Amino acid sequence: MIKKSLGVLLTAALATTILSACSTGQSSTGNSGSGGSSSGVTTIEFWAAPNPTQQAYWQEMAKAYESEHSNVKINVSAIKESPTSEASIQSAIAAKSAPTMSENINRGFGAQLADSKALVPLDTLDGFQDIIKERNMTNTIEPWKFADGHQYVLPIYSNAMLFGWRLDVLKELGYNEPPQTYSEIVELTKKLKDKYGDKKYLWAKADLADPTAWKRWFDFYMLYDAASGGNKFIEGSQFTGDQKAGEEVLTFVDNLRKESGLLARQVTDPFENGVGVFTDVGPWTFTTWKEKYPNLKYGENFTLSMPPVPDGMDPKDSKTFADTKGLVVYASATKEQQAAAIDFIKWLYADAANDAKWFEQTNLPPARDDLTTNDSFKAILDQQPELKPYAENVPNAIPPMDNAKYNDLQTIIGTEAFNKVVKGEISPADGWANMKKAIESALQ
Amino acid sequence: MDQRNNKMGWLFTSPYLIYSLIFFFGPLIWSFFLSVTDWNLIAPTFNIIGFENFMDALKSPSVHSAFWVTYKFMLIFVPIVTVLAIAVAVLVHGLPRFKSLFLIGFFLPYLSSGVVSSLIVKGLLSYTSPLNVFLRKIGLDIDWLGTPLSALFIVGLILAWKFTGYYALILTSGLESIDKEVYEAAAIDGVTERQRFWRITLPLLYPSLYTTLILAFGVTFGIFTEVYQLTGGGPNNATNTWQMEIFKQAFTNLQAGYASAVALLASVATFISIFIIRKLLEIWGKRNGWV
Repeated sequence: MIKKSLGVLLTAALATTILSACSTGQSSTGNSGSGGSSSGVTTIEFWAAPNPTQQAYWQEMAKAYESEHSNVKINVSAIKESPTSEASIQSAIAAKSAPTMSENINRGFGAQLADSKALVPLDTLDGFQDIIKERNMTNTIEPWKFADGHQYVLPIYSNAMLFGWRLDVLKELGYNEPPQTYSEIVELTKKLKDKYGDKKYLWAKADLADPTAWKRWFDFYMLYDAASGGNKFIEGSQFTGDQKAGEEVLTFVDNLRKESGLLARQVTDPFENGVGVFTDVGPWTFTTWKEKYPNLKYGENFTLSMPPVPDGMDPKDSKTFADTKGLVVYASATKEQQAAAIDFIKWLYADAANDAKWFEQTNLPPARDDLTTNDSFKAILDQQPELKPYAENVPNAIPPMDNAKYNDLQTIIGTEAFNKVVKGEISPADGWANMKKAIESALQ
Repeated sequence: MDQRNNKMGWLFTSPYLIYSLIFFFGPLIWSFFLSVTDWNLIAPTFNIIGFENFMDALKSPSVHSAFWVTYKFMLIFVPIVTVLAIAVAVLVHGLPRFKSLFLIGFFLPYLSSGVVSSLIVKGLLSYTSPLNVFLRKIGLDIDWLGTPLSALFIVGLILAWKFTGYYALILTSGLESIDKEVYEAAAIDGVTERQRFWRITLPLLYPSLYTTLILAFGVTFGIFTEVYQLTGGGPNNATNTWQMEIFKQAFTNLQAGYASAVALLASVATFISIFIIRKLLEIWGKRNGWV
């Protein structure tokens, strides 16, 4: 009898040990069941971008809001990046432990979530239109409207991606400012190669030959947005690419390759070390440069420009890609949480000083129409003049496609056209034709 | 007595059985279920689409590449790691003292992070690295990670560097177990060093060698970190492994159903390949009279 009891006890102990090992040790942050509300206090789970600056900003804002709203508690934590932040959000939704809201959502992933009914259409929530009006972002948010007419993501920042130029090298070649058209750049490349041979390239970047989907935002799309005047490329499930603009972009890249101006190889910080004289630059780069490359000074040895345009186009009309991410509210949140979330956002963006603080702390231009005219941002732009061209071009920046298959579709741009042209494996016209065919097939 | 022993046997094996049920059998069933759906885990509705995901995967060029890349890695990694591991084991075994110390030294790469070693290699192969600057000076401009064959070799070599010490450890224990009297008898018979290795050491080492070979073949089905860090599966899918493909589909494209189908195809390919390799190794051993 004792032995039997001992056996049962041992089995129970083993089972408990194994089951407890399955626990993550974390309490659930989910919204289901509890409703996120107790004792009249509504609790919001806010997932911030996984970088310390943004996390600190949201924690500060959450505390400030809580001090004025004792009925709401906002728990700010970073989105886990293992294996990717998107996969972490997907897992959380699948496990019914999604947060109330999160930032760091790009438009393509927003489309995937919206397609899966995981997001609340923000325009259906009371107070959303007030946010747009008070934050002065009517124009900036317009291209964010999804194919079904709803707004699922509220853009927080919009980086109008620019090209950086090594001004010191340009001056050595007899230029005081960057060339702006394709033929001017090809001409510059010839001079560069004549002077430096294999020591310098126009565009040195391993990503040019890498088919990873997001890498096309920072090469193909920047050039294509400029050449096409901001054509959306894909609208809903329709391929609407501008063939003339697309072929011109690929021909430009092909001409650079023919002049040995491209180096699609692994190089440590090629632009910073002067191996490449032209590259895409986002405003987040400047913080790194200040620490790692303090000798790089805006206006002295580097400058910024909008993407070059095909010959015959006015460079002043150039458009570019918007590296932009925003806020979403998850459909699994309770009505109380959704209302509290939108109220928090409304409170936050009612005061431009909060956007100014964001801009100052992160260098990421707030997604608003009045960035260059609102006095709240003047001091920041005066102090960091390299941020001015980003602020000026927010309205000229085109956000990513809102298609749930954006990863597949953008991989096709690389594998069928861009990467192959960079390597000289296909003609621009054939690359465009193959890419179009593959994209149309994937969209079906 | 037998009945009581049976119960105790079940009791003591139950942790592993429960573990297997929870962490192996359960996920396997779940994975199979996902593979016949178009579910992305978060949509409220999904469709049972039968074997459509499998058919799509079988037609996918990137899955084809994952299948063939595994065998290409085998051809590079297995011979290199086996020769190096045998060499290290024989050398260390012949040392008069500090064997363990040397073995630990060779074993350390196995403990090192694949991410760190990949980043170091990335730096070494940079266009502006001293190695490449020197090679260009003598007229050799090699795009190490941008050329399919060299990219495969580099990943294979990193893995060989990582696993040599581990396999050498297994082989050394195999060498230690060989009776010294056999060597003494051979010495009396005037056996040369070369004959000693091929006629005595290798046959008696066969059980350990068999284990390391199976482990080495198995490794090629699970390559991920080095490829993810160095090539991302490129150029043109030349280094796209099964794990890389599953990762892309599951965590980048968020296609849980399709990724599950690819994962199941990978398991089948792994199971069949390892089964055939085991049989071939057994035939090889029997033909030579080593088993």
